[in-house]
Amino acid sequence: MKRKIAIAAALAASLLGTAACGSSGGDSAGTISADGKVDGKGKTIKVWLMVDAQSGWKSVVDDASKRFTDATGANVTVEYQQWANVLTKLDASLAGSDVPDVVELGNTQFPKYVDAGAFGEVKKDTFENSASWLPGLSAACEMDGKTYCVPYYAGARVLIYRTDLFKAAGVADAPKTYEDFIAAADKVQAANKDPKFGAVYMPGRYWYAAMSWVKANGGDIAKKDGDKWVGQLSQPASQDGLNKWVDLVKKYSKADVTKDEADQYLVFSQANAGMFYGNGWEQGSAEQVRKDPNDANSPLVDTKVKGKLAAAPMPGIPSLLGGSNVGVPLKSQNQELAAQWIKYFTDSTSMKGLIKANALPNATAMLDVAASENPALKVGAEAAKNSWAVPSSGKWADVEKANVLQNMLSDILTGKKSVADASAAADEQIAKILNG
Amino acid sequence: MYAVETPPAPVQESPRPPVTRRRKRGTGKALPWLLAGPALALLAALLAYPMGRMIVLSFQDYGLKQLWSGATAPFAGLENYLDVLTDSAFWAVVRRTILFTAVSVLLTVLIGLGVALLMRRVGKTVRLMMIVAMMFVWALPALVQAQVFKMMTDSDVGVLNYLIDKLPGVDFQNHSWFFTPTQGWIVITSCVVWAGVPFLAITLNAGLTQVPKELLEAATVDGANAWQSFRAIIVPILKPLLVIVTTLSVIWNFGLFTQNWVMRDGKPEPEFQTLATYSYVQAFAQNKYGLGSAISVITVLLLLGAMAIYIRQMFKIGEVD
Repeated sequence: MKRKIAIAAALAASLLGTAACGSSGGDSAGTISADGKVDGKGKTIKVWLMVDAQSGWKSVVDDASKRFTDATGANVTVEYQQWANVLTKLDASLAGSDVPDVVELGNTQFPKYVDAGAFGEVKKDTFENSASWLPGLSAACEMDGKTYCVPYYAGARVLIYRTDLFKAAGVADAPKTYEDFIAAADKVQAANKDPKFGAVYMPGRYWYAAMSWVKANGGDIAKKDGDKWVGQLSQPASQDGLNKWVDLVKKYSKADVTKDEADQYLVFSQANAGMFYGNGWEQGSAEQVRKDPNDANSPLVDTKVKGKLAAAPMPGIPSLLGGSNVGVPLKSQNQELAAQWIKYFTDSTSMKGLIKANALPNATAMLDVAASENPALKVGAEAAKNSWAVPSSGKWADVEKANVLQNMLSDILTGKKSVADASAAADEQIAKILNG
Repeated sequence: MYAVETPPAPVQESPRPPVTRRRKRGTGKALPWLLAGPALALLAALLAYPMGRMIVLSFQDYGLKQLWSGATAPFAGLENYLDVLTDSAFWAVVRRTILFTAVSVLLTVLIGLGVALLMRRVGKTVRLMMIVAMMFVWALPALVQAQVFKMMTDSDVGVLNYLIDKLPGVDFQNHSWFFTPTQGWIVITSCVVWAGVPFLAITLNAGLTQVPKELLEAATVDGANAWQSFRAIIVPILKPLLVIVTTLSVIWNFGLFTQNWVMRDGKPEPEFQTLATYSYVQAFAQNKYGLGSAISVITVLLLLGAMAIYIRQMFKIGEVD
């Protein structure tokens, strides 16, 4: 008996193993064009999109795929990916031969893969609106004057606030300056005595927000000095911005300082805060939730804040232009077909679909359409014009993956380090990664 | 060194044994190997190959380009190991992992043993209910356990804060359990211990059935109290099993990954990194596969100490049986 238990236990122990990766070679050169006739009969292309498309604008995806299939005869399988593990998954699949034909990545993630030569060069002018692509998106696609991906959609962060609480506190309009914003926060905070209530919901590891405050004060994350990157967070201008943000968090936010912004609209929908800083579409997500969060087709249910929210540009704070691009991996066996699919998926018809779904389109030419056709996007379209981008380095994605900025912010807010010490340490790590 | 390594005298080939005895010994030796063959082949494929690959990787400078192109990675010598061993963050992670392992294993074994002893005292129905309840815990994947604990301790919607807040005079609204590493690790350790107790309790309960009743009765007649018979009779009989389950718990908990990874949303702060997550981040997030492998190799070496006790105990049990 004892021996059996021991052996079973030993086997169980040995099952805790390690993983190894295989690899294979092969690549091709040449620009991928989305023009011309491609016969895709009997072929199927595999598309990786992020979950946002599934929950936000699945009809746009389906419509583009349908137009693609009508034109080429090829079929499309769309696989929706999670942000948490898409890069690890992509790394592994690019090492093999069964690669996706189209891949969506965030605009801050793309440079690393372009730099490592994972994506094929595309013929830029074969895609609609390519002349006015948003620079914040297309910059991530370009290297040495060549284009390796196509902008897909953008997101700009705005101020989302409770109109009912503003009214009750005697704040008439959306704030126009940063001082207005602070004054409004003071009034809303004073009018709500509940200890759980915070005038501004600002989670502690929300680095997009903190860095926007840094940028607003003339600071920066890192700068290239000659051929070396130098961290800029400990510079006086950046320090001012960081301090301003930290003061805001400490004074008005009851948010968990060890959380990031991933679930902020859900927490905000509990009606314990007056404002938050989020993507335009988060207003809708805060007002209505799926009855079954795991089922994108379940009915929408109103939350406590339904009909009480409005959005405005965050006064005095430039927004980090977030968003996604799509590209064709160099190892794809169906490059021409993949480019054709991207053509349909990023054309004006698809962009109009995105605008309806509260996402910002990929080109400045479409931003004005967005502002006039969808009032909810007006604010975001404006914010997108006043935006900033992360340091343009192929290694930036590694800084994000190492959570350098999030860790800096939680070190400051949990009181482990002073603003000066934490930012000096972050500068050192950022320089090490970017120059590494 | 060289003196020791000089080849020994050909002891094996000295006096030829009688033919009959030799054949008998020959089949006797081949049969076990034959029977164990398939299992060994499987182990070689599933364990030896990845292990070997990992060791090779740890001496290479292997990045994304090598991964995708299949090109041979440049030999890095001991560079990966030097990078790891001179990094103060690495040593902080090692200390933390060892401390966590010590505390969590001690708690798991003590509580597991306590529950096992309790199971011998209660009636049949209650014991069955205990086993079923523990089986449920045991059957839960670590990922689900971690998600459940994460939800319960969430600062905004967690039930734990809600309940503690109900106590008179206590304000636990929006309390963040991961604000200080100590509290965060209490949550993580609780989850690991809670999940580890069923295996220990059920195994030790099985071991306790082997304690002869007569011995305990004799001890009682001789005037021994409960603690004395526990120390003098139960513990010595359970000892081999205790050593094995403890060593196993050490091995499992030393490789902690899922619980701290999930509870920190896949982005653990430096204070919540263990050797497993640290190695994973280096290899797969930073694409430094060589460096990540070097950390894994060092982890394996650290664990070998624990393994040695465990394997020795296995052989000892074999001899007794």
